[in-house]
Amino acid sequence: MINSTNHHPDENMLIEFSAGTLETAASICVSAHLHYCSSCRAKLLRLDQVGSQMMSEAEPIDVADDAFDSLMEKIDTAGKAKPEENTPSDDLPFSVNKLINTSLISKNWKRLSSSVDVARFKTGQEEFEVALHKICAGGKTPKHGHEGLEYTVVLKGSFSDENAVYREGDFLLRQPGDVHQPMGAQNGECICLSALSAPIVPTSPLGFLMKPWLRINPM
Amino acid sequence: MITSKIRNTSPNRPTGNPVATLNNSEKRSDQWSQLLISVGENRDRRAFAQLFEHFGPLLKGFAHASRNEGWFPGLGDDLVQEVMIKVWNKAAGYNAEKASATTWIYTVARNCRIDMLRRKSNTQHLPLENEDYWHEPDEVTPISLLQQKRSEDKVQASLAQLPKEQDQILRKVYLEGKSHAEASAELGLPLGTVKSRVRLALQKMQIIVSKEAQE
Repeated sequence: MINSTNHHPDENMLIEFSAGTLETAASICVSAHLHYCSSCRAKLLRLDQVGSQMMSEAEPIDVADDAFDSLMEKIDTAGKAKPEENTPSDDLPFSVNKLINTSLISKNWKRLSSSVDVARFKTGQEEFEVALHKICAGGKTPKHGHEGLEYTVVLKGSFSDENAVYREGDFLLRQPGDVHQPMGAQNGECICLSALSAPIVPTSPLGFLMKPWLRINPM
Repeated sequence: MITSKIRNTSPNRPTGNPVATLNNSEKRSDQWSQLLISVGENRDRRAFAQLFEHFGPLLKGFAHASRNEGWFPGLGDDLVQEVMIKVWNKAAGYNAEKASATTWIYTVARNCRIDMLRRKSNTQHLPLENEDYWHEPDEVTPISLLQQKRSEDKVQASLAQLPKEQDQILRKVYLEGKSHAEASAELGLPLGTVKSRVRLALQKMQIIVSKEAQE
C-alpha cells in the first residue's frame, strides 16, 4: 500500500504500542493507522528490535526437563493447527474488520446529526467509546469542542477542518479544549474510526446498553 | 529448499539459479531465523528443539520480569508453552524478510504475555486479542537477514552503552511491561519526564530520530 498518510501517532504512543502497554482503545487506533502507514511500520520494527533485545537479556529461568516432551505431546494430540481465520476485509485494517464482524453494538448506523452516522463497538473497556463515524459527502458537522481525548483514524474517503485535509490512514489526536468543525469531502462519504474518552463511566457491563451518549451536540 | 520463501520474494536475487540458497554470510548471520524457517517449511522437530532450548528459558524469564496485575506463579511455564505452540503453528507464515526470528518470537511473546495477564485480571469479554493488532501488510522492500542481524547487533551494542537511568526506563517499559503512567508512578517521576527519557534513550540508540535532526 502506498504510504500517503501525513498524520501519525506520536513516538511515545508507538513505543507503548511496541511494548504492549498502550491501552486498548488507543491500540485499536494505532493498529488501524499501521495498516496504511509503511513509515510507522518501519519505526515499529525498530522498536520491536529493542523489545526483542530486552527479552534476550531477560534473566533466563530453567524450564522443567520434560517441558519440551510434554510440549510436543500437546502439539501432536492437538493435531493439525487450524489455518488462520481469514475473514474477507474489503481492505480494512484487521483489527477494525474483526470488531465489525464481532463487536458492533447494533448492526445498523445510527443517525447522530443530519450529516453524521455512528456505529459503536463493544471493546471490553470503559474508558473510551470506540466507534465508526460516517460523514456524508460534503456533510458539515456542528462545531464542537472536546472535553476528553479523541483518537481518529480515517478509514475511507477524507474530511477536512479549519487546519487540514485528512485522508485515508491519517491519525489524529484531539486534546481536551480543542474545538473544530469537520467537513466531509465533496466527492464521497468519509468513514472514520474514533475513540473518545467518555465523561461518564458506566458502572455495570450493561452500561453499554444505556442511552447512547451524543458526542456531537447538534445545536 | 529452506530458502524458497526468501528467494521467491527477493527482487535482487538472481533468478537463473534454481538451487540458490542463502549465501554464507547470511547463513552465519542468524541461526535462529534459519531454524525457524526450517520448522515452518519442513516441520523440523530438531530445529524446533533447538529453538526451544534457546528461547524457553528466556521466555520464562520474560514472563517473570512482569509483575503486573494478573501475574501468577505459573505464568512462566504457561507462557513458554503457549508461545512455543504458536511458534510451531505459525512458523509457516514466518517471513524472514520482515523480521528476524528473535524479533518475531518477541512479538509473539509480548502479545501472549499481555493476553494472559488480561485474561486473569479482566472479567469482561475482550473481543480483540493483542495479536489482532499485529496484522500489518508485508513490506514492499524486503530486509535481508544480514541487514537485520547488523541492525540488531547495533541495538545490542547501543543498549549496553546507555546511561543507567535510560537503561532502567527502557527495561521498565519493555521487560516489565509497564505503561508510561505506571513507570511514572513507580519511579516517582512526572509523566512528561518518563516520556522524554524514553525518547532520549531511543534517540541515543538511533532507534528514533530526534525532532531537531529531522528539521
